[in-house]
Amino acid sequence: MFGAVGVLLLMAVSFGVGNIVLTHLLGPSRKGEVKGTVYESGMNPIGSARRRFNVRFYIVAMTFLLFDVEIVFFYPWAATFTKLGGPEGDGLAGMFLVRMLFFLLTSVIAFTYAWRKGVFRYD
Amino acid sequence: MPTIADKLAGLWPEIVMLLGAVACLAAGLSASARTRRLTPWIAGGTMALAWIFALWTGIDADHPLGLGGVVTYVKCLVLVLGLVLLLVCAGVPEGLKQTAAAEGARFDPGLSVRGEFYFFFLLSITGVMLTAGATDLVWLFLALELTSLPTYVMIAMTRDRTVAHESAVKYFFLGALSAAMFLYGFALIYGATGFTEFGPIRDAVAVSSETGLSDPSPLMLMGIVLSVLGLCFKVAAVPMHVYTADVYQGAATPVTAFLAVVPKVAGFAALIMVLHLLGLDRLPEPVLYLLGAIGVLTMTVGNVLAFVQTNLKRVMAYSSVANSGYMMLGLMAGLGVPGNALGNGPAAVLFFLLAYGFGSIGAFAVIAALAAQRSPDGADHTDATGVADDLEYDDLAGLWWRSPVLGGVMLVSMLTLVGMPPLSGFMGKFFLIGGVLNAGFYGLVIVLVINSAISAGYYLRIAMLTFFGESSSAPAVILPEGRRGPRVVGAVIAGIAGLLIGGLPGNSVVRNAREAFEPVPAPASAEPETVQAAADESTASAPAVARSQAAGLADAVPTP
Repeated sequence: MFGAVGVLLLMAVSFGVGNIVLTHLLGPSRKGEVKGTVYESGMNPIGSARRRFNVRFYIVAMTFLLFDVEIVFFYPWAATFTKLGGPEGDGLAGMFLVRMLFFLLTSVIAFTYAWRKGVFRYD
Repeated sequence: MPTIADKLAGLWPEIVMLLGAVACLAAGLSASARTRRLTPWIAGGTMALAWIFALWTGIDADHPLGLGGVVTYVKCLVLVLGLVLLLVCAGVPEGLKQTAAAEGARFDPGLSVRGEFYFFFLLSITGVMLTAGATDLVWLFLALELTSLPTYVMIAMTRDRTVAHESAVKYFFLGALSAAMFLYGFALIYGATGFTEFGPIRDAVAVSSETGLSDPSPLMLMGIVLSVLGLCFKVAAVPMHVYTADVYQGAATPVTAFLAVVPKVAGFAALIMVLHLLGLDRLPEPVLYLLGAIGVLTMTVGNVLAFVQTNLKRVMAYSSVANSGYMMLGLMAGLGVPGNALGNGPAAVLFFLLAYGFGSIGAFAVIAALAAQRSPDGADHTDATGVADDLEYDDLAGLWWRSPVLGGVMLVSMLTLVGMPPLSGFMGKFFLIGGVLNAGFYGLVIVLVINSAISAGYYLRIAMLTFFGESSSAPAVILPEGRRGPRVVGAVIAGIAGLLIGGLPGNSVVRNAREAFEPVPAPASAEPETVQAAADESTASAPAVARSQAAGLADAVPTP
């Protein structure tokens, strides 16, 4: 019964380990002081934390969140949607499609608002 | 068991408000300057439409606490106050330097805040409407946050000064603290009863057979106490009042008018709902002591501190604190006898909110239409919104002789807030005192009357100054037409409303407030059979269909 889970685990682990091994074997090996430092999302890991950086990072993160959360809502809906169309679904499929489209519309409004405000302009 | 579909059927006014808010957001970013100027009109039209919808959807007879009337009353109340507030607030984003920069030769949507201001304005009012309509603790919490979150942004974005940002941050952090408090209270209520819906919570609270009062478990009591204390922030009542003066002073004056009215309506609507979980008629002694202590402290602290202030906005801020104290006493007075408005404390609170609202809006609108010119270096102390933050008593000297309209509104507002007999404030206090007397709290009535006397000190000082004052330095000037927007119109409407609802129209408002707490009467009809038929039809239509759909859904979705 848990064999499938075991296979999934094995695949996950081997994908991760395999990538590291393959990169090590195939990739070019350039070592340097900067390359050896801790990865801190593109920031310099040493020095004062009280420095300015562009507010755009936050805006991009928030815009990402908008669509991320949307997908989280989509998933359970999509999983049950096919059952709503059948005879036991009582013809609710149309109503639920419209509801999800309304939800999608709210995200689209947020997206167009962000677009109009110039969130995606990088000049 | 009402479902989401049933609840949505009663939420048409809020849906209209949300759609209107989005329309404001879009119009404010339009490429055409004409469309952008339409934004406040869209906001006004939305509120008028939502008002019609609120009357059209009518009273929810199935409200779990039997407060369907209160829901409709509060929705209409906040929409009426919102329309007047819109007149006062319109022109605020338009007057900002930032807007001038954004709408220069080429429109820069990134800088413009016009659409956002009206968007947040409508969202906050939607939050109040949802607060009133809440039937669930989670819903109540989210609605209260929807009321408050937009106000933080409104304070920060409508002024080009750091003092506004300071106010916004103060308001935000203390608001977060209060939210944590009432959320903790809600969690304890859930822990004590096992429900988040109002109806089952109310059924779960025991009633003592000896006294006839509610006999909540200690955990439930703790939950109610924490909720009440957290909500004190929204109404600016004493342990949570400390932010009031600074925030009200730092915000642009029209936004201050908004802060003084809208969160207070939300707070009292939420307090009525939360206290009615125990039964407003049978509050246990600890809760009565708590409300009494908050009321007495709030009105005393508010009035005494207002008395010693010299800055007009700070005076009005503490006056707002004091008025919350009066209303707190109304909450403990019980519902009285059905059919008699005198003796129904919470109904008096609902009416007092209207009277206080018009009085406050009138006073703040007059302050917003004036600009001080006292600075010795001759610099203009007004900021881009055309609002001075340093208006003091002297600036009002002889206002009547320079502008009878503004002077008159100031006079009416002050007399309303004092509670002079022909005005609405008098009726408000009359019914409040009637309720408290009826409940037998004679000591509290004495405190209330003494406090009214203290408050007369600073209210009448303002009223006297507008007539007889002689300023040593140059008094405040009235802002020119282009910089004050329609706020004088808003002031006049608030003044007239403050006058009128003290008279005959006030009777019907009082009756509405009283009826809000009574069971919904069956539709009047001569034929009993048609009543029956209509009742059958109405129960068979929307809710039943929704229920059957929901039942179908429950069958269709596989249970894990």
